Amino acid sequence: MTIMNFVAAFLFVLGAFAFQTSITGVNRKIMARLQKRRGPKWYQQFLDIFKALSKSSISHGWVYDFGVIMALGGIMATVIFIPIANFRAFPNTDNVFIISYVLAVGMLGMAMSASGSGNPWASIGVGRALTNMLAYEVPFMIVVVTMIYSFNTASIGEIAEIQQDLGVLGWNMFRMPLGTIVALISLQGMLGKKPFDSFIAPAEIASGPMVEYGGKHLGMLFILHDLSTFIEISLIVNLFFGGGATFLEFGIKYFVVYTVANLVSGIMPRFKIDQAVVFFYKFPLAAALIQGFIVIFTGWGVTKWL
Amino acid sequence: MNLLSILAILIIGGIAGYFITKLNKLAGAWLTVLTSLTALFMLFGIKDQIGSTYEFLYFTFELTQIGWYFAFVLCLTYAMSAFYNIYFMDKYLYPNTYTMLYILSLAGSVGLFFAKDFITFFVFWELVVWTSAFIIPLGKSRKSAYIYYVVSSIGSMATLFAILWVYKLTGSLVIREAFSLLDVSTWTAIFIFGLFIFAGLTKIGIYPFHIWLPLAHGSAPHTFSPILSGGLVKLGAYVAYISVVLFPAYDAFSEAWMIFGVPAPIYFLMILGAISIIIGTLMAIRQEDAKKLLAYSSVANGGYILIGILMVDQVTFAGGLLHLFAHAIASATAFLTIAAIAYRTGTTKISELGGMIHRMPITYTVYLIAIISMAGIPPMAGFVSKWLILQGLASKGLLIIAFAAFFGSIGSFMYVFRPLAAVFLGQLAPKYDNLKEAPIFMVIPMVIMTGITLFIGVFPKFVLEMIMKVQVEAGITAVTMNGTAIDIFNGYLDAYHVFVIFGFGFFIALVLFLLMPKARKVDLMDTYTSAEFIYTPELLHYAHDFYAPFERLYENHPSTLSLYSKLSLKLKEIGLFVDYLMMSVKPATTLLWIILFIATVSLGGVLS
Amino acid sequence: MAIGDKVEIKAWEKLGDFFRGRSIWMMWYCTGCGAIEMPPTMTSRFDMERLGMGPMATPRQADILLITGYLSVKTLRRVIYSYEQMQDPKYIVAFGSCTINGGIYFDSYATINKLDDYLPIDMYIAGCMPRPEAIMNAFNELQVKIRNNEVDGWKRYKKNYDQYKANQMKAVGEVFVHDEFHE
Repeated sequence: MTIMNFVAAFLFVLGAFAFQTSITGVNRKIMARLQKRRGPKWYQQFLDIFKALSKSSISHGWVYDFGVIMALGGIMATVIFIPIANFRAFPNTDNVFIISYVLAVGMLGMAMSASGSGNPWASIGVGRALTNMLAYEVPFMIVVVTMIYSFNTASIGEIAEIQQDLGVLGWNMFRMPLGTIVALISLQGMLGKKPFDSFIAPAEIASGPMVEYGGKHLGMLFILHDLSTFIEISLIVNLFFGGGATFLEFGIKYFVVYTVANLVSGIMPRFKIDQAVVFFYKFPLAAALIQGFIVIFTGWGVTKWL
Repeated sequence: MNLLSILAILIIGGIAGYFITKLNKLAGAWLTVLTSLTALFMLFGIKDQIGSTYEFLYFTFELTQIGWYFAFVLCLTYAMSAFYNIYFMDKYLYPNTYTMLYILSLAGSVGLFFAKDFITFFVFWELVVWTSAFIIPLGKSRKSAYIYYVVSSIGSMATLFAILWVYKLTGSLVIREAFSLLDVSTWTAIFIFGLFIFAGLTKIGIYPFHIWLPLAHGSAPHTFSPILSGGLVKLGAYVAYISVVLFPAYDAFSEAWMIFGVPAPIYFLMILGAISIIIGTLMAIRQEDAKKLLAYSSVANGGYILIGILMVDQVTFAGGLLHLFAHAIASATAFLTIAAIAYRTGTTKISELGGMIHRMPITYTVYLIAIISMAGIPPMAGFVSKWLILQGLASKGLLIIAFAAFFGSIGSFMYVFRPLAAVFLGQLAPKYDNLKEAPIFMVIPMVIMTGITLFIGVFPKFVLEMIMKVQVEAGITAVTMNGTAIDIFNGYLDAYHVFVIFGFGFFIALVLFLLMPKARKVDLMDTYTSAEFIYTPELLHYAHDFYAPFERLYENHPSTLSLYSKLSLKLKEIGLFVDYLMMSVKPATTLLWIILFIATVSLGGVLS
Repeated sequence: MAIGDKVEIKAWEKLGDFFRGRSIWMMWYCTGCGAIEMPPTMTSRFDMERLGMGPMATPRQADILLITGYLSVKTLRRVIYSYEQMQDPKYIVAFGSCTINGGIYFDSYATINKLDDYLPIDMYIAGCMPRPEAIMNAFNELQVKIRNNEVDGWKRYKKNYDQYKANQMKAVGEVFVHDEFHE
């Protein structure tokens, strides 16, 4: 853990932020074209974030401020853990459980700060967000456990490298197809996109946790949202689509996955929160368990593959 | 200074406590603090005497690694919770009995961890059950005390039966010796194992014996709930350890049917543990009383501990034992914060409280760190133990247990967040405007416990070394460490690095926050209400039915408590039926029974 | 703060104006009959989003308040409350003739005639109701003005606060309706 590691980590966070924010802007344009209109410029998201940071803000107490800082800090730390191609800011920190649970620090910080504002809409939104998390996380984690069992490693970088050895057909997308479908459905929940975005519903609960945020808090929250999108999509690309031998390959796969997720969300309505929970415990959970049993009992896709 | 002196101090201190409290209540409270702290320090003193045995009258004790580890967890919990007695002693109806029973229960726990033979073990076990059964009704309800005692007795009697059976088979009462001499068929082994571990199951609160936990922990006196939840359920984990490691269960069941590589009886118990995780989590999510919520969370975490200990392998076993420690500290701390709130406001019902952070910020911070540990989020101790358990389950491919483990882990975010948002955050009711922070001797133990959670989360080495010694003593490969990192064959966790990187991220975010212009402070009631003008903070506080849409999904669930009531009614009906058959007033029936009896007696020999 | 702060604030404000002039979030509060012209402006035919404008749910998150038509006395109380909950720098755009001189409700007892007396207006759009083309034109002009630091309604409000408050009291009696629940 030298100074160079920390500098590399900081630059990596900046790069991840710039990359994801540009792609968000491009996707706003794609969504606009889907809706037969023009859409903003590709750098609009940057303008939004910096405008929010430049405004004056209000505060409801120390936990309101502290929660936002803790959330953003946790998410930045998680970004530092992500491995891309051969780059790791710090060695041996890309364990999949660490990443999933440090993401929870971000959610907890935001939840704490939102409830600290004293507005009931915020608490309702946070309650829905936590229920949402219970829904999408469990089937996804079962697929991840199957993967750890089959590849005997919980390090995301190593799983990505194992897939690259066999070329395109070595991707987990082809080896564990049911698992990939479950992961893509969970991805919609993780990103907070329709049909699972009832916790930030603007007309129902006045944007949920963000109800009292303005100015720099809102700007930091947007940065947090972009960085957590980066983390989640990188996770999926590394685990199911073979990571990437170079940054360029990774970037292309990343763009495709995010655009597909965005397009799916663009045409779907919103589930109620109890409908979302019931949905996730039917098909995705069953598919994840079936995938697990296939791998454990027959070894298809792991030991018996090419 | 040896083990017998610790026990002597505790037992004599307990009995003396009765008389000292009669003279002065505060002195009695301080006596509990002093005896538990002395026990804790003396425990560290006798650490190097591991392996020696002691005898006193009919009791024999042996200092083992596992016993020392459990005693350490218990003494720490007792020592920290004892400080609260100073403030709560005035509220109890029978303070002298309380002091005596409090110290004697610690004596019982320490004694049973170091017991060498079954009789010592059972005597001290019953001592703990009786003392705690009489402390619980000093709180809110008596019914919870006797449900606790009945369920506990089912367990104790089953274990006693198993002990006597083993004695009859082997002729020895020394625990390790008797089990190693046992040489029986698989089915007999399964029966003995099942009966012996019964006491452990009822004590931890595994489904279907979890019914006493929420009642007892929820209505016990505020200073005893942290001990019940953080300490006494771990006694059941000790019984589980004995049954599985010393039996030894895996060898005895090597002929049994294997499921996923685990013998069927053990897998069945793990399924029970998994069901308790799910039920504990689901029931905790819908509670309106903070103490009952934490009690159900103890049910869920007890499931994790049981699963960990039952695996007896390199990783999951270490995870289970570490979870024991982490959960004891976190759960006791959470109960202590609720006790502090109850001391200042007089209530633990979530919907009546709100906005406590503005008056009790230290209590809030302590509670926050305790729930971060309970939810298993880095960089606290709860994360390291959960990580070990999950890596272990993944390496064996136990998918259904892993499903329950994840469900419990993520569901725990929901139920620990509920008191945080509804009790500490949100709107502050005007009637609590004059509240003061918790008094100094409540703050000190809370801060110490928080420090321990954080320290062990960043440097788990200090507790893992004790666990590695336990694993070596039990004959399992110990978990491997690499400096401050845990390095096992399918995962790598350096908690110190994670903490430093998290600090670095926090630092960047803090710098970004401070660079922007300063925020203007506004009142809590100046908030978005669709431009409606509001003046009553109580109405704007969202606390009741926090997870209403999720709770509606399982609103009409079947209740285990009513199942037990129905069973007891059925038993009464059978008794009434026998009564009807045999004790009737019609002479014809009596004549029939007499003839049958005489016939059986005289001609029975022909039938055999 | 130090001596150089006047210059510093100016540089910070200039940077802020660059961003605020290209990304405006409107508060989703449509007051009068002019609100009917907002959905066509936001949706596919006229697409407000290409100017960088989008809707946001609460006053805390919003930069701009659109007064789309007449304001009754009851609504004026709520608009003033929402405006004061917004964070600086904030702008108001007034649609239609009712905000300029009362429009077709000039002699009503329940509406106000000149909005500029009560809240600082940055831009008026003429019409009854202005069509989406006029609205887009106005938003474009507003953005150019923000970039050149020519709109300062929020500064005017802070400087002449007492005068605005006096006007508001004269019109509505009490801005924050008293606690009727506990009477």
